[in-house]
Amino acid sequence: MFTEIMPEAVLETAEKYSANGAHPLTAMFGRDETESGAGYAIYCCFEFPEKKDIDGFKMVFDPKGSLEYDSITHVVPGAAWYEREIRDMFGLVPKGHPDLRPLVLHEGFPENFYPLRKNVSVNAKVQGDRKYKMRTAKGEGLFEVPVGPIHAGIIEPGHFRFSQAGEAMLQLDAKLFYTHRGIEKAVEGKTPYEALPIIERICGACSIANTWSFCQGAEKIAGVLVPRRAEIIRTLLMELERITNHVGDLGNIPAGVGFNPAISLGGRLKEKMMRLCEAVAGNRFLRGFIVPGGVRQDITEELAEHIHEVLDDVADGVEDLSVMFAEQENFQNRIQTTGIVRNRTAVDLAMVGVGARASGFAHDSRSDFDYGVYSELNFKPFTKSMGDVAARILVRIGELSASFEMVDSLLEMLNGCPNDDLVADMKYGAGEGWGISESARGSNFHYLVLDDAGKIDRLFVRSASYPNWPALTVAVQGDIIPDFPLINKSFELCYACIDR
Amino acid sequence: MENLIANIGLNLIQGLVLLIFSPLIMGIINKVKARLQKRMGASIFQEYFDLFKWWRKPTIITPYTTSIFILAPVVYFMTSLYAATMVPGFLTGQFSAGDAFIFVYILALGRFFMTLSSMDAATSFGGMGGSREIYVSVLVEPAIMLAILINSLRYHSTTLSGMIIDYDGAYFTISAVLTCIAFFLVMLAENSRLPVDNPDTHLELTMIHEGMTLEYSGKLLTLIHLGSYLKIIVFLTLFGALYFPINIPLWLKILLGAVIIGIVETLNNKMRLFKVRVYLGAAIVFLLLAIVAE
Repeated sequence: MFTEIMPEAVLETAEKYSANGAHPLTAMFGRDETESGAGYAIYCCFEFPEKKDIDGFKMVFDPKGSLEYDSITHVVPGAAWYEREIRDMFGLVPKGHPDLRPLVLHEGFPENFYPLRKNVSVNAKVQGDRKYKMRTAKGEGLFEVPVGPIHAGIIEPGHFRFSQAGEAMLQLDAKLFYTHRGIEKAVEGKTPYEALPIIERICGACSIANTWSFCQGAEKIAGVLVPRRAEIIRTLLMELERITNHVGDLGNIPAGVGFNPAISLGGRLKEKMMRLCEAVAGNRFLRGFIVPGGVRQDITEELAEHIHEVLDDVADGVEDLSVMFAEQENFQNRIQTTGIVRNRTAVDLAMVGVGARASGFAHDSRSDFDYGVYSELNFKPFTKSMGDVAARILVRIGELSASFEMVDSLLEMLNGCPNDDLVADMKYGAGEGWGISESARGSNFHYLVLDDAGKIDRLFVRSASYPNWPALTVAVQGDIIPDFPLINKSFELCYACIDR
Repeated sequence: MENLIANIGLNLIQGLVLLIFSPLIMGIINKVKARLQKRMGASIFQEYFDLFKWWRKPTIITPYTTSIFILAPVVYFMTSLYAATMVPGFLTGQFSAGDAFIFVYILALGRFFMTLSSMDAATSFGGMGGSREIYVSVLVEPAIMLAILINSLRYHSTTLSGMIIDYDGAYFTISAVLTCIAFFLVMLAENSRLPVDNPDTHLELTMIHEGMTLEYSGKLLTLIHLGSYLKIIVFLTLFGALYFPINIPLWLKILLGAVIIGIVETLNNKMRLFKVRVYLGAAIVFLLLAIVAE
């Protein structure tokens, strides 16, 4: 399905596919096919919402020839991180890239070590002394504020370097990927079923999104159709995960300004949701529910009744929370016009999820692609145009009420659906398949390649936080540094999702 | 002479009493906040355990600092304690260890040393905290001076004990109410409470007072915290004795003040840093109106 091109033709091909941002860049990733006699390849995927599909091109490299190509970052700005990651992982060098510092492999790794190449063992022990220079601003009266990678709260590692003129942030450089786990390498050689527990644990907040995207890929390769009841249950779980995350985020954003009653209420609602998740799946993160071919368990009538009760309760709480936000003038003053991402920036960076939709970019996999039973639910993306912290809060509140309605219809759909068939038989052969699903933070994309024995040859995971992280450094410009925690929380980006 | 010694003794005893009760007041504020958020919250004696915990921990001093770093917490604590002996509280006799102006500037001395030490370790958080502290205190100081001026106009005295609300005269006036509100606003700013500063934050980038203390640990940190607790009870005592125009016992006023702080902190979130001047400007306008009404 992907057109093969030579590296020389990359610029015009990328331009053609992107059509000036009309088709957002989904992902770019490398692959090592040297074992089967071919060379290295770079896949470049674009979204085509009008045909509800992903299309793109595959750039092939002769391993003995030059491993350079023209960087497409100037044409497709969202490609900047992917190109850096491919260089780190495969050693394919984008010529003319504006920022070729390492992205994933920091100082601890040696030069010329490319972990995703097949000749590198998964247990490779390496030690290196690479150089990594933070980007800073110099001038009279300017100073730098280094924050992290170890933070005061219980959060994941990331280093932020602020270039300050007094309280105003001139520039922010983020150094992430501190705890790269090598998951894409670790699952190679495993069957999809064996890899599933690892995929579920990529991120604590989007285990359903990750497993669902992964399973979609596997199901495309096996050519099976998921039973209808399983599709409904998957959609239901996805919305439960979204509600859990959105209420958690709504309780977390006020923590950036010390708005205590809202923090407590959000925390209580999230706990209610997580207990509901435990009642549904046996664990608080909805793990172990989705399997390739369907779902492992059924949602019984009693359980559906319980979901109903809890969600009614949580919906009331969300209503209280939104009233609390609206009535607190001091809070509104903090969130309005803070951390603005303009629409053009969102489109250029191919942002996803709440971040994109708060900037008027109606980018939502639930309507852009055909998966689950979203097409029967008349789903429409919820957007706001301001692009500030307030818009991101409003988008979350709007999506929550849509999710509550969707869960109601889904439970009704379950009622009239036979429950004898929940999982299809999976038989794998060689093949390639992609999967996409909308997690609470945005679209979650997996690309799966299986070999003849049905074992994973390459798995690429792009979680929702990946395209949104670069937008954070744009959003903070023009604000003052005490507003950074608030802006950061309004995106609620995930470190684990990119440390895969 | 004997009388003088007895008076000094009384003042010292009052300082110690306030010192002993100051962590309790913090505990009560935190308890009120927790209950209003429908949380159980820690025990009201939690601050004593915290102080004990910090005291036992090793005191780490970076080799890049000067003697200011060790001196500052001691000065900060001692100035708060000195202020505690001065406020017109329970035991204060005729003798006063200085007038209202000494009171204001003895606290300013402690703050001066804390801002110096915030820059001593040359960390960016400390520097940011220090510069913000100065920005706030530049606005707080005239407000406190105005509040004192009003009472000295009313009672013709500049000693703190001479300004105590006179319940025999007309004490519940427009001027008194305005001063009461304004002094409460200023008290929140001076003691790094919401909505000016967030006392229980872990967000390094937004902190004011906590930003200055990031480099401290162990016994020096205990002194700083104890100094801050003391400052709150001192301000509450002053607020109760001088500006809270309700005729109830002083200890009840202090408790009531702590509860009100808890309520106000629950109802508010932290304001934009550059809006603090509007907030304190409002307090100053209230005070000016109070002078006119006087």
